[in-house]
Order: sequence, then C-alpha cells, then structure tokens
Amino acid sequence: MTGTIIAIGAAVAVLTGIGAGVGIGIATAKAADAIARQPEAEGKISKTLILGCALAEATAIYGFIIAILIIFFLQ
Amino acid sequence: MKEGDSTEELTNELLEQLTCQTVFEIPIFGGIAVDEAVVVTWIIMAVLTVLSIVFVRNLKVENPGKVQLALESVITWGSDFFEGIIGKSNRRYVPWLMTVALYLAVANLIGLAGFKPPTKDLNVTAALAIMSMILIEYSGIHKNGLKHWCVHFAKPVPVVAPIMLMEIVIRPLSLCMRLFGNMLGGFVVMELVKAVVPFLVPIPLSFYFDIFDGLLQAYVFVFLTALFMNEEME
Repeated sequence: MTGTIIAIGAAVAVLTGIGAGVGIGIATAKAADAIARQPEAEGKISKTLILGCALAEATAIYGFIIAILIIFFLQ
Repeated sequence: MKEGDSTEELTNELLEQLTCQTVFEIPIFGGIAVDEAVVVTWIIMAVLTVLSIVFVRNLKVENPGKVQLALESVITWGSDFFEGIIGKSNRRYVPWLMTVALYLAVANLIGLAGFKPPTKDLNVTAALAIMSMILIEYSGIHKNGLKHWCVHFAKPVPVVAPIMLMEIVIRPLSLCMRLFGNMLGGFVVMELVKAVVPFLVPIPLSFYFDIFDGLLQAYVFVFLTALFMNEEME
C-alpha cells in the first residue's frame, strides 16, 4: 500500500513537466514566427531560444529530481 | 507476481547505477575514498591531454596540414562564439570556458564507450557549478573592483538586495541540478525503454538522449556560465 502512495507522490511531482512543456512550446512557436519575419536574425534568435528553453526546462528537471528522491529514499 | 519481481529488479539496477561506488582508497589521512566518477574523469583528462599534445605537434605557419586547418577552424569558431557572449575585452576567460565545454561534451558522451558518465554523479556537477560560481563572482570583482561588487547588490533599489544575494547560490545550484537531472533523466528513460522494448526502438531514442542531449547540456552549461559572467561584468 505504501508503495502505491509513493508512486502517486512521484507521479504528482513529475507533473511539473506540464509547465515546462507549455513554456518551451510557446517559446519555440514565437521563435519560428520571428525567424519567418526576419530570417537574417536566425543566429541570435536560436541562441536566445536555447537559453530560454534551458531555463524553462529547469522546473521540469526539479520535479523529476524530486520524483527520483521520493521513489528511492522514501521506501 | 512476476510483474513485481521485474520491477524490483529494475529498481535495484537503477539504484546500483545511481550510487557512486568507491574504486579504491588512498591510504593517507585515514583513507581518502576515490569514486568511480573521479577515475573516469582522470581517464578523460588523460585522453584529452594526449590528444592535445598529438594535435599541436608539428604546427607550421606556412603550408599547414589538413589536421592543423581543421583544428584552427574549430578553435576559432569556439573562441569567436565565447567572445561574442562575454565581449572581446574579457577574452582571458575563453580558454577556461572552452576547456569545461570540451570536458563536459566528452563526459556526457562517454556512456557510449561503456564508462559510467561522471556527470551522472551529483558531486561532479556540484564541483563544476561551484567552480562556475567562484569564476562568476571573481570576474565581476576583477573587472569592476570590490567596492562596486559590494554595492551592485542594491543596484536598482536596496529592497532587492536579499534576492540578489540569493542569486549567488541559486545560479550554481540551478546549473548543477540542470546538468545532473538531464543526464540522470536521459539515463532512466533509456533504461525503462530498454526494459519494455529491448529491440530497435531504443536506437533513435539513444541518439536523442545519449548524444544530442549530452552535447546540448554541455553547451548550455558553458553558455549560461558565460552569460552570468557577462552580467556580472557589466
């Protein structure tokens, strides 16, 4: 029974991935827009996009680490 | 019942991969434990050092060989890239950034060669992040002086000073956790996929999680460090 509850806890922690997914999706859509409008600025846009994605992704990574900690250290 | 057994087996295997084993102990000061990650780092250091020595032998100003031209274009591309971020006047930090990028790229890809990637150990990424933290603050102090560094925490309005102080710790913490979490996440996903479908399906996923993600995270780590340094040196 505890195992099930631990699994549910880990699953809830991993839900942080939703935010990162939506954020990176929006950022990529805007970057595609910007490149379509100004193809010559592609280098700068993609650099900024990678930075933004790395920062947005951090929340998902935190959730994942918490989930791993819950699974391995709460047993 | 069989289901539970295989889950347990997988959990045990993952746990074994997660814990960093001690390879041997240096018998001074009551035994200094040497972890697996340290040994793999030594191997990477040895390989990179030998490669650098091999590649820089017989460099010529006139009639450069193919290897020299390729090497020059790669180094020029790298230093141009980092100079573009931190500015031409701060080019003294470029070799450090390129070294860390090279080490991280090799460390993230070394899983393909059968070694355990050192970046999957939280201690390694924490050490790299602390090095970044010291360098970020040092670059600010070196460029603008200690007085400016002390004052800049209260720069727009003094109310933000606690947040700015917290940023000193949060930036390396985020760097460390990002690298570690990405490597570990890729590894766990790959293990799960291999456990479910051990045939053909892991190959394209391995290209993403092992190669692309490793190189991307090496890039992101040095890119963010350079960006924070630039911010600090303004």
